[in-house]
Amino acid sequence: MKRAIPAVISAATALTLVLGGCGGGDEPVDPNAPVTITLAGWSLASTPEFKTLADGFKATHPNVTVELKEYAPGNDYDTQMITDLAAGTAPDVYVMKNLKNFYTYQSGGQLLDVSDATTDLGSSPALASYQVDGKAYAVPYRQDSWVLYYNKDLFAKAKVPLPDGSWTWDDYTDAAKRLHTGLKGAGSNATGAYQHTFQSTVQGFALAQTPNADLLSGDFGFLKPYYERSLDLQASGAQPTFGTAKTNKLTYQAQFGKQQSAMLLMGTWYVATLLNQRKSGDADKFQWGMAPAPQFDKSTTGTSATPVTFGDPTGLGINPKISKSKAAVAKDFLKYAAGPEAGKALAGIGITPAQATDAVTASLFGLDGVPQDELSKFAYAKHTIKPENPVSKHTAGLQNLLNETHSTILSDSKGVDAALSEAQTRAKNEVLNQ
Amino acid sequence: MATLPRTRPKYRRLVWRNTVAGWSFILPNFIGFVGLTLLPVAVLFYVAFTNWNVFGVAEWTGTANFRRLWSDASFWTALRNTVYYAVFHIPLTLAAALGLALLLNRKLRGVRFFRTVAFFPYITSIVAIAVVWNQLFSPEYGPINALLGAVGVDNPPGWTASATWSMPAVIIVGTWRYMGYYMLLFLAGLQTIPAQLYEAAETDGASPWQRFVHVTMPGLRHTTFFVTVLLTIESFKVFDLILVMTGGGPGQSTLVLSQYIYQKGFEENQFGYASAVSIVLFAICFGITVIQFWVNKRRNS
Repeated sequence: MKRAIPAVISAATALTLVLGGCGGGDEPVDPNAPVTITLAGWSLASTPEFKTLADGFKATHPNVTVELKEYAPGNDYDTQMITDLAAGTAPDVYVMKNLKNFYTYQSGGQLLDVSDATTDLGSSPALASYQVDGKAYAVPYRQDSWVLYYNKDLFAKAKVPLPDGSWTWDDYTDAAKRLHTGLKGAGSNATGAYQHTFQSTVQGFALAQTPNADLLSGDFGFLKPYYERSLDLQASGAQPTFGTAKTNKLTYQAQFGKQQSAMLLMGTWYVATLLNQRKSGDADKFQWGMAPAPQFDKSTTGTSATPVTFGDPTGLGINPKISKSKAAVAKDFLKYAAGPEAGKALAGIGITPAQATDAVTASLFGLDGVPQDELSKFAYAKHTIKPENPVSKHTAGLQNLLNETHSTILSDSKGVDAALSEAQTRAKNEVLNQ
Repeated sequence: MATLPRTRPKYRRLVWRNTVAGWSFILPNFIGFVGLTLLPVAVLFYVAFTNWNVFGVAEWTGTANFRRLWSDASFWTALRNTVYYAVFHIPLTLAAALGLALLLNRKLRGVRFFRTVAFFPYITSIVAIAVVWNQLFSPEYGPINALLGAVGVDNPPGWTASATWSMPAVIIVGTWRYMGYYMLLFLAGLQTIPAQLYEAAETDGASPWQRFVHVTMPGLRHTTFFVTVLLTIESFKVFDLILVMTGGGPGQSTLVLSQYIYQKGFEENQFGYASAVSIVLFAICFGITVIQFWVNKRRNS
């Protein structure tokens, strides 16, 4: 009952502010006058990317200060940001962590049209995600994709051949089981693979790789083979069960970093985390590598083809309440953040920028502790990335529903067919008809 | 005649002074209550009849939200789960709290220590509770299932990792958490029962059980009523425990109403719809409390 109260307060505040008329003046602008714009970020102490962007922009625009505003990490970021936007107290430039809530911001009129900032950015699927009716409402500055991380030492211990880029999901399942047997034989407790509890670990791949799969169609049959393989891996003991991962609050960072599991499917953001944890001692120092995510069928495998994976871009948008005098500077900042210069700076701290260039790859692989083999470079640089979330008003509802389906199936509460048909019924009657 | 006009201002002044004094006592709390609770709740009753989605205007949609609610399977699931939790949590906690109170209402050595121990779960951080209990319940590595296996249970339940057993697991933790708090209320109630009554009953040759039924129970009637009302409201409002222990899962097996409100409001930005569900939850709590008061009144007369 009390839960609705903050929302009402924010509404009331928003109303007061609208009536009070908070708007910027539009006096003529001297391009060299000192100006400050505010930028949203989270966990500033442990997330250096925002400061990197702010400092990098300052180098080319000495009169501009980008001031960071700290928000809550995780899903609370969006809750907090939506409240602040509604109340009119949000920063000038803010981050869209994924595409799930982009529709909410854009359709709610909380994003400035930034089409003129995207003219030099070429065209990319990430850029297209932020376009509505031919206008751009945000720019991508990061584009992570999901790859396969593997522990070379554990592979050697289990005497299983290393990934070579030719894997389909069946090959992956097979390798996980052989690792499991091999490691057991060698007296190790490590599991063949670790599948984290995120719904994306199954659904993201299924949606990106299955031909003609469409979340908004309300037909979820494409998930079936992906779930069957996960259940198979759980049942055989080749990966910790979903129940254990949930109840024991397992983290993927400790599972892979502390050599508890030989393989891990995860986004490229984990590179920076792993490097930091190797330095701090939270992760062991072992030989590791990256391989392309396992594929739907043979047609996209091998290093001469382009593997298909998924990942939402991370974008920057401008708060429409920004004063007119600052809007131009904010757009310049977006141009910079999405451009090649910022890309190199971000790659220098282990973060994958939106524009994948050879310079970016070289910059990332120049970091201490990153594997130097060709397959890792290939996995990092070459792929087709499909978004995890379609831009639609139904996305948040569908993803919530599918997250419930995810735990239903992986906890063996219902069979795959029964759970998927229930999900389809619910999608039709509770989400898609709204 | 001449005295009348003189006393009236005096009297008025007195009333005025008392009013000001009275208000000044409750004002600090009342301002906060009005601003942060009363007004938002009033606004909620309006928002529930709109399609407000946080940005933009709230269009009046009449009873559309309530009609949607009627045919929303997830809402009914959440309602069922809430009732499931309440039906088990209320009697179990009541019994556990009363049992503890009777046990700790004696002149024992170290009784204060045990009272404190029983109260600990209530003041412990809910997040810590959830993490520890989840580990205890862990299907493959948890001590609970190891114990069950040791006493010969072949197929121990999956607890929070299974749709069938997740709600019982939450109920166990809920009961364990709140029994210490209600035990305190019962202890206070027990202190008010005159010792002579027990002495008289003993002289008449009443067995301990008869003493409990004919002296303790009637003496605790008011406390029991109060505790039942509090427990009922608390059970229907259950939110934090579920959120940190199971997140409503697996599937929708522990999804309760307040969490459904949270999901629709703060995750899917359907504040109008979430407000409509809130009103239903409010009506349920209100209705049950009214019935409880009515039953209590009839018993008293």
